Amino acid sequence: MTATAPVAPGPRPAARRPGMTLPGPARLLRLELRHNAMLWMLPVALALFWYNGYREIMALPPMWNLRAMTLQNRLLLDLAIPATGAAAWMGSREGRRNVADLVVGTARPRWARQLATWAATTAWAEVACLACVAVVYVMTARQASWGGPLWWPAAVSAAGVPALTAIGFAAGAWFPGRFVTPLVTIVVFFGLGFGTQAASGDHSYWQISPLTAGAFDIGAAPGVATFYRYLPDLSIAQVMFTAGVTLAVLGALGASTALNGPRLRSLAAVIAAAGLAAAGTGVALAGTGRLDPHGMIVIPALHDAASDQPVRYTPACGRTPVPVCVHPAFAVFLPAMTAAVGAELTEVAGLPGAPARISQVPEVYQQEPQNGITSLAGVPGGSAFILTDQVPGEPGATSAQFAGDLQDTLGLQLIREVILGGNASAAAARPSQAQLAVIAASVRPGAVWLGPSAADVSAPEISGRRLLALSGPAVRAAHRFAALPPAAKHAWLAQHLAALRAGQISPAQLP
Amino acid sequence: MNVDITDLTRRFGRNQAVAGVDLQAGPGVFGLLGPNGAGKTTLLRMMATVIPPTSGRLRLLGCDPGAYGPRRDVRRRLGYLPQNLGYYPGFTVVEFVEYFALLKEMPAARVPAAVATAVERVDLGGRAKAKLRTLSGGMLRRVGIAQAIVNEPELLLLDEPTAGLDPEQRVAFRALLRDLGQRATVVVSTHLVEDVGAACSEVALMDQGKIVFHGTPAELTARGTEHGTGDAPLERGYTAVLAAARS
Amino acid sequence: MTAGAIRQAPWPALRLVRLHAASRRLPAAVALLAACAVGLRFTLFWHWDAYGALQLPLIVEAGCAAVIAVTAGSPFGDPERATGRWLPFLRLGAAAALTAVAVAALTAAGAGAHLSGGFPDVLRNVAGLTGIGLLCAVVLGGPLAWTGPLAYLLVSVYGLYTDWHPPTLSTPLIWPARPPHDLGGALCAAVVFAAGLIAIAVRGAREPDGG
Repeated sequence: MTATAPVAPGPRPAARRPGMTLPGPARLLRLELRHNAMLWMLPVALALFWYNGYREIMALPPMWNLRAMTLQNRLLLDLAIPATGAAAWMGSREGRRNVADLVVGTARPRWARQLATWAATTAWAEVACLACVAVVYVMTARQASWGGPLWWPAAVSAAGVPALTAIGFAAGAWFPGRFVTPLVTIVVFFGLGFGTQAASGDHSYWQISPLTAGAFDIGAAPGVATFYRYLPDLSIAQVMFTAGVTLAVLGALGASTALNGPRLRSLAAVIAAAGLAAAGTGVALAGTGRLDPHGMIVIPALHDAASDQPVRYTPACGRTPVPVCVHPAFAVFLPAMTAAVGAELTEVAGLPGAPARISQVPEVYQQEPQNGITSLAGVPGGSAFILTDQVPGEPGATSAQFAGDLQDTLGLQLIREVILGGNASAAAARPSQAQLAVIAASVRPGAVWLGPSAADVSAPEISGRRLLALSGPAVRAAHRFAALPPAAKHAWLAQHLAALRAGQISPAQLP
Repeated sequence: MNVDITDLTRRFGRNQAVAGVDLQAGPGVFGLLGPNGAGKTTLLRMMATVIPPTSGRLRLLGCDPGAYGPRRDVRRRLGYLPQNLGYYPGFTVVEFVEYFALLKEMPAARVPAAVATAVERVDLGGRAKAKLRTLSGGMLRRVGIAQAIVNEPELLLLDEPTAGLDPEQRVAFRALLRDLGQRATVVVSTHLVEDVGAACSEVALMDQGKIVFHGTPAELTARGTEHGTGDAPLERGYTAVLAAARS
Repeated sequence: MTAGAIRQAPWPALRLVRLHAASRRLPAAVALLAACAVGLRFTLFWHWDAYGALQLPLIVEAGCAAVIAVTAGSPFGDPERATGRWLPFLRLGAAAALTAVAVAALTAAGAGAHLSGGFPDVLRNVAGLTGIGLLCAVVLGGPLAWTGPLAYLLVSVYGLYTDWHPPTLSTPLIWPARPPHDLGGALCAAVVFAAGLIAIAVRGAREPDGG
């Protein structure tokens, strides 16, 4: 050791240009960023997201609403354990490393020191969060046929990260024992999971959970935030809540010890109080939510009426005898749709009562008690149809189911409109056996209803009568008609539709 | 006087670790001797403003550290090396010293040079970029000394600073102490009487929370002329004073 | 205190076990396991939907495993390793005993409530997760031993989710997602648990650097 120290030419920090010196807090932050446990947890966090969230999200159809809202459902859950655990670990660092006496005797307030460590942890956790968002959004941008990124779901997730790290860090700082890190991590993860299970109805306070994207029983549905804008009401309340939790916890950290001095403690207490107020306001606002007809949560105090206007779009139409037009977000399903109902379209094209084209319209929702939600529009009829909520790519939805749903709804709707005439009086009338036979034979699942196990199959109703209510001759007639190619069916209907509608055709007269 | 202590006490429950200590110290190296459990570490911790006294008067660098503002000012001008040095194993030597320089609110522009100087002064220039987990116990002790002196403190408190240092390093360290003592008040708590003899201009001996001797090393040596036991003169003075205090 | 004032403990082995347990904070660990069981009982008051009924108990089981894993860390370091032959047995006994306590507490908490999977599920999940935690303790050290069980928790939660939203991730390596009486899952969990016990007994938890 040198007593009088001419500064020897040893290792020196890199020379800095004049004016480039970082201020003390920035230097402290830079040190903390380099040595943060969250840096080591980044690969773990990204791997967990890839395994759990990313694969599920990418399996969804390339629709912005589906993927963004599912991202919000998943991302924080995947990040909760690495982020909260790393933050608790860093918070307990001074206790674990036996440096308490060293750091307590320094001038910089304890809160400033802690905030630097917390900020570094949060910065890396946000890097993980934003990286996950970026990957999902970039991939979706390449695949989606319409629309653009929904930023509010990403914003809610990003705002949730500081809350997770704040809770973890504070727990570790206050209780630097060996059990605290795993326990606080589990409790936070449990709380997030519990929050998603406890919501009930559109005005539940539990929907403040940052994992909740939209109405609980609808969630990420294809038709939500497609025809109408994504409403940020609930997202704003959630951001308010998570930001409030962050401020409250960090403020409590600063106010909880006399080591920070009276002025700083007062400031910390004010920040904590403001945070509590913000979080409480967010929760209260969530409790005023109501389900709007388009499937999203409206919070009156936060709602902008301009958001209620439908989004303008140019429909994507198939090239079929009766064009089927869908919202461009659903364009990727158009080939499957036209394949599913192509026969019906060929059969009815140009016939009296057949629409010139069929256009998709949005579903209309209504909140029922508890978590029940009903769709009010049903089968709109005429030239409008509502696409099923389960599109291929969603969990549990297959292409075969999608085709079957379309035939059950759109195909049946088309045939019924043409055969029965499509007006109110026709809908109220009891269809004849011949009419039912033609309808059953024209809709492809009708082949199932007419099969040996028809009695076991749940058939849709036509004017209050199930298609199964066919007598023996009508079943035979339906089989004969079903065997005809669509063009032949079309030709026969072109000649006999009026008589069929008038009830003048018997089953025996069907070809 | 940089250190002005009057009737200082500190209790931990029923245990009175420091029982009415009077001490004044100006620039120079001040040794604090005593057996285990005498209260040296507790006294040093109070002087380092890590723990408050239970009663008594404590003034450091002309300030009363009881209030937050003066305490913060004292801490900017203070250096402290505790007996049990904790550290962050992933930090390098430079980073560790820089960390404490920043915590002591040194002006940012001065930090790099001050860190380099402190690291060189403890002869760790060649290991500046080494991670702390790779250093030996003695080297870690020197890192601890470096963080204590990085801000060129006016009051430097060292608790067992030479633990783990080899004899050559101890000789160099004593020279460093003498140099620092020309400008600052250095209080060294140690079991090693030869450190006190070599570097200190004044020495106090504590036993059972009280100061039982305060004078120069020569005066302590003189006390052991007739009644002390030990291999070295200062040791004999040490044991003689303790025996007298306990009888 | 003089040597004569220290009385010989009547059961030296028991005394050793007690001291070892105190050094690893086992009493606090048992209290936390009991608290986890209370938490599980609390959650069972609700009726959860399909996969919620499985995921929430699994979270509690992972918490128990993490608590058991972090007790493997030694506060003594090298001096303890340089001792006689009893240390491996003490480590093994501590881990096994805590696992048994956790399984018993969680099973008792689920008695009479709708604990999906029941005792076989609890035993398999807690043992397997604890095995992962003990292996992490050997590799990463006691303070970081919780990372393995909690990371595996996320994987398992997703596996349970896919039971209800196919395609199902069906592999014995994700045993919490398997049915309670599934032999493959039970075997995997048992192997991991045994490996963890052996590793912790033989090697002990890795010592953290410095400080």
